[in-house]
Amino acid sequence: MSLDFSPLLHSWRFLLGGLGLTLGLAALTVLCSLMLGGAIGLARCYGPTWVRVLLVFYIDSMRSVPVLVVLVWTYFALPIVTGAVLPPFWAGLIALTAQTAAYVAEIVRAGIESVRPGQARAALALGMSRVQAVRQVILPQAIVRMLPAFGSILSIAIKDTAIASVIAVPEYLDRSQTLAGQSFRPIEVYLTAMVVYFIILFPVTRTVDIAYVRLAHLGRS
Amino acid sequence: MNLHWSVVWDNAGALARGTELTVLLTVATMALAVPGGILLALMRLSGSRPFAWFSASLTELFRNLPLLLVIYASYYVLPLALGVAFSPFVTALVALGLNVSAYNGETFRAGIASIRKGQSEAALALGMSGWQAMRVVVLPQAARRVLPVLASTWVSLFKDTSLVSVISVGELAYTAMLIRSRTFRVLEVLTAMAVIYWFLGYPQAKLADWLNRRFGVSE
Repeated sequence: MSLDFSPLLHSWRFLLGGLGLTLGLAALTVLCSLMLGGAIGLARCYGPTWVRVLLVFYIDSMRSVPVLVVLVWTYFALPIVTGAVLPPFWAGLIALTAQTAAYVAEIVRAGIESVRPGQARAALALGMSRVQAVRQVILPQAIVRMLPAFGSILSIAIKDTAIASVIAVPEYLDRSQTLAGQSFRPIEVYLTAMVVYFIILFPVTRTVDIAYVRLAHLGRS
Repeated sequence: MNLHWSVVWDNAGALARGTELTVLLTVATMALAVPGGILLALMRLSGSRPFAWFSASLTELFRNLPLLLVIYASYYVLPLALGVAFSPFVTALVALGLNVSAYNGETFRAGIASIRKGQSEAALALGMSGWQAMRVVVLPQAARRVLPVLASTWVSLFKDTSLVSVISVGELAYTAMLIRSRTFRVLEVLTAMAVIYWFLGYPQAKLADWLNRRFGVSE
């Protein structure tokens, strides 16, 4: 078995473009998921009962269904419902955000619930309003505890963008498949892809591991 | 928009067989990955440098690769590297098994490490052998901490089996996509697929939550 990496060298621009799309899609997914998931998490903790019931159902459903299924449904079935055709990139962003936001909401909830109830009671006893207690006492402690888990969301998002290749978002894995098919050099192409993903993801997961150790005690009350 | 839900009933048999394979794949992968994880954890804790290094690199590798890439790579690289052609099902089992073993190894290692050192020291002070201290004192406590994490991994694995549809393993996602392209009833078939996954996954997620509440440790 002899390895020939020249097709990869010839197509480095093509692959680099895919890599840019992978990182862009991951960044947008994380950004949208943090905003949407943060809102969902807060509403799930402090909203009226009917909102909570609805959001718990949404969160648990997203945790029960594979991301591939959400992606495929958003890309192929949603346009039939809405009548508007979605380009793969936007379908990918919507589906990944819908799923990741549910995980963010769970992190937000866990962070808020980890602050001892005595803290909120003490704030209320001091004459703070409920909003003040949440904003000034609970959230500052809760957010520190959420930070490492948000880091994990980033590495999950980068890995999940690879699944968007199933709906032909031209990200790195999709372009690797194209190149593997055209050059008949799947081994070289996929080995390179493994190296590329590893180089991107390893620093992220390492930083998150360190963050868990460094930050975990800061939120202790 | 006119919908023909009858397409779902007409293909109920195929969907049921796909669901069966999804469940089988989940169970078979976990059956491989629990011993695999124990092996990796033991290597990591063995005190032997090469074993610990091997286990740690394998864990880091799989933690930092998209599973879909691992599946494609197994599909193309395994037969050429080993000179044997595997069926898609076996390839899927290898890819999922390696991935989940790496996660399980980390789970078992963390579970054993979470038992305070004083416990095994006390056991040794009482005259137990090292193996006895491990078996009688450390492992029973570690098992309680490992169980909820294992349950969460199980739910992730159940969902991740859908990814092997890309190497045409005839599980639920693959079957549904096949029916979709044959009948062109896109919305009906894909919704049916999502609903089946939901009905299977929802109770599992709830069970994992319950195990986390029942056995989870908060200090």
